[in-house]
Amino acid sequence: AATWDMPTPYGDKTFHTVNIRQFAKDVEQATGGKLKINVHSAGSLIKHPEIKNAVRRGLVPIGEVLMSRLSNEDPVFAVDSIPFLATNYDEARKLWEASRPVIEKKLKQQGLMLLFAVPWPPQGIYAKKEIRSLDDMKGLKMRAYNAATETLAKLAGAVPTQVEVPDIPTAFSTGRVDAMITSPSTGANSKAWDFVKYFHHTQAWLPKNMVIVNAKAFAKLPADVQKAVKDAAKKAEVRGWEMSKKETADKIAILKKNGMVIVTPTPELMAGLKKIGEQMTADWAKKAGADGEAILKAYRGQ
Amino acid sequence: MLRKGLDWLYAASGAASAVFLILICGIVSIQIGLRALDNLIYLISGTRYGLMIPSAAEISGFFLAAASFLALAYTLRHGGHIRVNLIIRNLKGPARRMTEIFSLAVAFLLTAFFAWNVLWMVVDSWQFHEVSYGIVPVPLWIPQSSMLIGLVILAIALLDDLIVVMRGGDPSYRRHEEAEAAQASEEALAEEIEREV
Amino acid sequence: MEPLWAGLVLLVILFILLCSGLWVAFSLLGVGVAGLALFTQAPVGQAMATTIWGSSNSWALAALPMFIWMGEILFRTRLSEDMFRGLSPWLTRLPGRLLHVNILGCAIFAAVSGSSAATAATIGRMTIPELHKRGYHPLMSIGTLAGSGTLGLLIPPSIILIVYGVATDQSIARLFIAGVFPGLMLVVLFMGYVILWSLLHPEGVPGEKEKPSWRERLVALKFLAPVTLLIMAIIGSIYAGLASPTEAAALGVVFSLILSWLSGSLNRESFLAALMGAVRTSAMIAFILAGAAFLTVAMGFTGIPRELAAWIGGMHLSPYALIAALTVFFIVMGMFLDGISVVVLTTSVIIPMVEQAGLDLIWFGIYIVLVVEMAQITPPVGFNLFVLQGLTGRDILTIARAALPFFLLLCIGVVLIVLFPEIATWLPSRMGAH
Ligand code: NA
Ligand code: NA
Repeated sequence: AATWDMPTPYGDKTFHTVNIRQFAKDVEQATGGKLKINVHSAGSLIKHPEIKNAVRRGLVPIGEVLMSRLSNEDPVFAVDSIPFLATNYDEARKLWEASRPVIEKKLKQQGLMLLFAVPWPPQGIYAKKEIRSLDDMKGLKMRAYNAATETLAKLAGAVPTQVEVPDIPTAFSTGRVDAMITSPSTGANSKAWDFVKYFHHTQAWLPKNMVIVNAKAFAKLPADVQKAVKDAAKKAEVRGWEMSKKETADKIAILKKNGMVIVTPTPELMAGLKKIGEQMTADWAKKAGADGEAILKAYRGQ
Repeated sequence: MLRKGLDWLYAASGAASAVFLILICGIVSIQIGLRALDNLIYLISGTRYGLMIPSAAEISGFFLAAASFLALAYTLRHGGHIRVNLIIRNLKGPARRMTEIFSLAVAFLLTAFFAWNVLWMVVDSWQFHEVSYGIVPVPLWIPQSSMLIGLVILAIALLDDLIVVMRGGDPSYRRHEEAEAAQASEEALAEEIEREV
Repeated sequence: MEPLWAGLVLLVILFILLCSGLWVAFSLLGVGVAGLALFTQAPVGQAMATTIWGSSNSWALAALPMFIWMGEILFRTRLSEDMFRGLSPWLTRLPGRLLHVNILGCAIFAAVSGSSAATAATIGRMTIPELHKRGYHPLMSIGTLAGSGTLGLLIPPSIILIVYGVATDQSIARLFIAGVFPGLMLVVLFMGYVILWSLLHPEGVPGEKEKPSWRERLVALKFLAPVTLLIMAIIGSIYAGLASPTEAAALGVVFSLILSWLSGSLNRESFLAALMGAVRTSAMIAFILAGAAFLTVAMGFTGIPRELAAWIGGMHLSPYALIAALTVFFIVMGMFLDGISVVVLTTSVIIPMVEQAGLDLIWFGIYIVLVVEMAQITPPVGFNLFVLQGLTGRDILTIARAALPFFLLLCIGVVLIVLFPEIATWLPSRMGAH
């Protein structure tokens, strides 16, 4: 019998973690205890920035990581974070099917194997005041945490502002930042109503968390255990997508219940944002080269 | 000659660490200054330019690692690393020397092991082109090297003291530790405690 | 129970290493190596390199050397002397007199700093030599500082509340607000103890000038101006939206340099002395933090803390009994691991128990801070003790002895918030929705 330690970045209440704990349980059950996966949530074993490398180097056999965290390494990993390329679950599913082979190939080059990936609910804009068009975003201090969000803010006429995650509530309440873009989940979990009033359900993109294993560690498992892990992963992916969909509605309801104003974006705002999305898609395709072209072709061809 | 070279190395690593502390202070202060300036321009002209140093927090974090590890040997030489010296202070002669040799040997082995593994981490980060996550993609082997350099110098400093003590000399940090202890005058304090209880 | 045995073996190793005079940081690294090598299959060297790198390049930690540097600069100005001169005519009637400066100074500074080590290091650098010079009882001046340094964690901002909030999906803003009253409660407890102690030990508190006139008091106020300005500038920069709490630490250095220049004490020599002092102290703390981070990961791999916590959960205790059991657990674990690590390693197991017992998670966050604060001042692994050993050169056990009454006061604090949970929950409950 083997025991795998599995570091994950998010807390126990996050649906990704709930899904992964279920996955671990499924594996243990299906293998009759031949493989036990110990989930260490909330970065308690390995912190998010180190998880991918820890799996690659074999410090831990398995782990979860936000896919777009790797986008500085290779633009392909940013495919699910291009604004307004895929803006609902069906499109996100199509994009994932189109990009999966390339992502798997890239991970394989690092000795990693992809087990499954589950999207976060679609990203919306949290702001202190209502945004009705791009004009309202002019001069707004908007949180940027990587190159893509910085570009997005700039193109929208907003001012990209760097704020670390734990500092977000203070930054809002002291006026260092006016707006951020994230999912209803993250907003509800961090009780965004304590510091911000409007949630614009723009459905900008659906970023994914992926569960990766060290290929060597996986190869060491007996064939029946390997199969059980793969089966459980397939189930976890299906379950995770359903959980994510449900999460969107649930968390928006929570935001509303706590007094936040849920804004359906005006056609004017969406038109402006979509235009930015087109430009950023084109820029991304240029950076991602042949792989990027192939993904876009497959995505649009379907 | 060797002695001079080594002492220079420890002092230089301490100085490098100090430079990184100054850089952290500088980068953060400039960031705050830019934010203030941005607000001022906004008040006057109504437009915001979003002046900022990209990845300031991430880079400050790297500087912090450099400042911490580069200072390790320098701090050792100045008796800055703390230990429980209640027992060893009361040891005399060979017993004291043996415990000192034990401590230095264990510390040296741990540091050498640590440095060796950090070396492989740096090589690996370089081979796999690992970069940081923020706005500026920093190749990770660069900041990680500061950790490696600091640990190598610490290993040298520990070996240096180990050899000195094995030859019957006093370790470099002894002087500082004793100066501090004298200042604190532990015996006087012990008496006070007795009176108290 | 297997984890219990593994834990005991590691404890014995830790004690041998510490008692042999091996430096604290190396002792922690050594126990981590032993734990991984003896009880897990994880690759030891890799775990060491990866996790220590990950914990050392942290932005949140960057505030620590800045605050330490600030303390070193101020120590070399007349600021602390002036501060005491300004305060002493006001405190002549209060038993304990200037000892209260440690408590109040830490409480005020805690509003800027999120860590207890930084609070103890910065305030202590200024107050300890001054109290010593004036003839205050060394055990009390060390003890008050060790105790009130922990306020850094309870009075917002707080690193530990951020860690807890992120791990348990609680609102950090609410947790911060919840810490305010318990923080004040501790200030009252600490000051009350100092008053009581001073009445019983009048010889421990040197006499100040008899009955100063109101005129003398008012004149003395001018000595308080620089320190007041400094603190207001730092806090102001946060609330004006110019700096994050972490960034404000760097501003603290800049303001201190300006103050030192204005007071004429800034020269090449004092600048370098302060800087190199900061280099040594921060390296000492950073290296111990690195050792603690590695030991934490080793413990994560061995599963010892998690299984011990689960063992408590298996007893199905009533809420009060659960809190009592957890308190003992945290105190014991907190002796050997740094407090934040204990929280990180055990939240997954403990939070479900706490929820099942029907306890409020915001309240539990404050409870956690109180027990983590205790861990900061219990030997052998207590960060405030390390800071004070660095500051005073006294042995860690002596310092722990000085801190013992404050450890007991923290226990009383825990009892109080268990009996009157509103101390923590009232303010956040008033926050409501917009
Ligand atoms: Na604080
Ligand atoms: Na402790």
